[in-house]
Amino acid sequence: MSPKKILFSPVTRLSGLLSVELSMEDNVIHEADVSCTMFRGYEYIMREHHVTDAVYLTQRICGICSTAHGAVASYLLDALYDNEIQEMAQYLRNIMLAADFLQNHIRHFYFFGLPDYVVMPNYPPFLEQNCNDCRLNNEDNHRIASHYIEAVQISEKCHQLLTLFGGKVPHQHSFVHGGVAVAPTVDKINQALTLIRDIRKFIGRCLMPDTELIAHCYEDYFAIGETPRRFLSFGLFRFGSKNEQLLWKDGVLSAHYSKPRLDLLQEDITYAWYERSQSMTNSEVHPAPYKPEAYSWTKAVLYNGRHYEGGPLARMTFNGFYSGGTSTMDRIVARSLETELIAKLIEKWLTKIEPGEPPLDQKKVLVMNQAIAVTDAMRGPLLHSAQVRDEKVEYYDIITPTVWNFSPKDANDRRGPVESALVGTSIPSPELKYIIPGRIIRSFDPCISCATH
Amino acid sequence: MEKAEFIQICRDNVTTANHELSAKILPAARKYMLHQNKGKLPVIWLETNDSGDNNIAFMNTTYPYLQQVFADMINLLYSNTFMAAQGKDALDLLFSSAKKYKGNFILVVEGAIPTKDNGIYNVVAQTKKRAITALEAVTTLGEMAGYVIALGTCASFGGASSAAPNLTGSVGVNKVLTREIINVSGCPVNPDWFVGTLAHLLMYGKPELDALGRPTLFYGNTIHRHCQRRSYFDKKDFAEKLGDIECMFSLGCIGPKTSADCPYRQWTNHVSWPVKVNTPCIGCTNQDFPDGSTPFFVPLPQKDKSTQTGAEKSGSAAKGDSNESKKNPI
Repeated sequence: MSPKKILFSPVTRLSGLLSVELSMEDNVIHEADVSCTMFRGYEYIMREHHVTDAVYLTQRICGICSTAHGAVASYLLDALYDNEIQEMAQYLRNIMLAADFLQNHIRHFYFFGLPDYVVMPNYPPFLEQNCNDCRLNNEDNHRIASHYIEAVQISEKCHQLLTLFGGKVPHQHSFVHGGVAVAPTVDKINQALTLIRDIRKFIGRCLMPDTELIAHCYEDYFAIGETPRRFLSFGLFRFGSKNEQLLWKDGVLSAHYSKPRLDLLQEDITYAWYERSQSMTNSEVHPAPYKPEAYSWTKAVLYNGRHYEGGPLARMTFNGFYSGGTSTMDRIVARSLETELIAKLIEKWLTKIEPGEPPLDQKKVLVMNQAIAVTDAMRGPLLHSAQVRDEKVEYYDIITPTVWNFSPKDANDRRGPVESALVGTSIPSPELKYIIPGRIIRSFDPCISCATH
Repeated sequence: MEKAEFIQICRDNVTTANHELSAKILPAARKYMLHQNKGKLPVIWLETNDSGDNNIAFMNTTYPYLQQVFADMINLLYSNTFMAAQGKDALDLLFSSAKKYKGNFILVVEGAIPTKDNGIYNVVAQTKKRAITALEAVTTLGEMAGYVIALGTCASFGGASSAAPNLTGSVGVNKVLTREIINVSGCPVNPDWFVGTLAHLLMYGKPELDALGRPTLFYGNTIHRHCQRRSYFDKKDFAEKLGDIECMFSLGCIGPKTSADCPYRQWTNHVSWPVKVNTPCIGCTNQDFPDGSTPFFVPLPQKDKSTQTGAEKSGSAAKGDSNESKKNPI
């Protein structure tokens, strides 16, 4: 007899800690609760801090996408201080952010995704791999598995490129409010160009054909793990002296396309381990780990009352680079396609850099006491919002991409994108009880450290 | 030992009932094993309350690269990040590995341990019966391990995960285990510090540790002592803004009280480090990071959140120097 419940814990090969509980009916997933099981409390940590601590401190939310937090916190401070960003700083900022995207996407595909589809060598950390549905022929399998090793060196090169300008990574130092603290010198530009050319060769020679082969052999996954077609992106790669221009446009897509309105965002804690303060003057939320109906440290986030999906698929769709469905394989293909496009942009931007002094001008006086800044991060829309008094943070709100994608149910019991993608999926045999949900879940590239922060 | 010599020893001792044979052969065998890297270190890696930055930093290791570490140095038996197995299969592997390599495996803990409410704020896995908290997993596995490595500042000292107001009561691994812990701090760790510590355990056993339980090999000197900009500091030539080439002490640099070798070693294949890109060291390897480091851009003697709000200039450069000489008599 088929199991009524599948407890999928831990979901490995992702950032952070995730458990999923599936209720089955006739071998079909009937209910899916995704449970993010870690909490640190960054929004509380940020309080009382000098507001300029935000760039370095909020990067510590996430290891795999730290530069995205540094970027959005810098945009936030740029608004609060009314900074003017020089043209060279705009290029250097985008090069650093883009390099972290490449690192993320390549590591996601090879380190996290590959063991879902490819037979890995039988030694640690690949012991006890379940190969019940590995479909590649021996020759193809051997070739792709060997690309895991090449991906090790290439993803390191992505971070090396970032480090040339950022000083270190994770948690780079030079992308700060007002611009960039590093001097773009010819040796750095030249080293970065050499690195990006190696990275582009790898993408062309390995990542793209590997993606194509997996998409071909697992074609049925173009119809597995589909979501309601509701996409949200805050856009990517900000240019302009006030960060006002977006290279890749933002958008909200449900029945129609529109521009995102930040006043339509709403956080919902119905099924999250938080409760609102009882005080009439203060509506802030507190951790409530024993709340009986809750099942995740991730809040639900809604746009105009509904859940939305973010990530490479949303960005590629909005910018006309990809038209397809909303399935597991669509997300994987869109991410690889985005990797190729971003690598090309980095090389182009590097050729635009003129060597010179650090392009940085940090204003000293706050012109506002509150601001909201947004960008897309690797996995989707990222928002930082702050309220400041006497340069100290009074209130800081962070809504990360994995909050959108891994939202628990809202007050109307409607499910977020990942839960929706899981519900309705058929698990024809017990050997596939982790494999199929694992593939669906990982196609969203979850980062639970971000989602719970 | 040459083969002929080995055979001769065996022949000479073939009839003796004492342990002469073992006594003569074993040291040579041990030397051979070490030289040939025959025994990889069994490693169980638990991710707890942190950002995952240390596993990303680990992926950036060069010479050896990640796959070389897997092939030649460690058997990574459990790792939420890397392992192919998932769900209960992964958890079974954790339990069976811990049992099989009891007393020999290295427990790597990446992250702080929430202790409030019995540690409910971090659950490493659920079983049908209950939730396994990080507190329980680290306590249980910590007793069974040969060595325990606290990887990163969160695991070593609590770090950012225990920053005020610390709603989860998060602490470093050494606060929940009574045994000795090897702390490899950093936010994140430099992969060389971690892989170097593993190499020491593999080839020479436990490395020498400082008062905070960190390998002195990497944490034996302050940033300040070896900083490329030390001559600016000595001449009291201080930066006025980020991006300047002078000493960053005026902009909050914590190099004088931070033990690490970043100026020499640098990051990501050794290409740069924070001061090289004209920003201050923020002391990410320190016991009091990040609370003792903030406000990040206020000079060290004035880093007191209760009294400081603006980025005021340092009036007392000497403070840093005195910290330095106390820690590192030159």
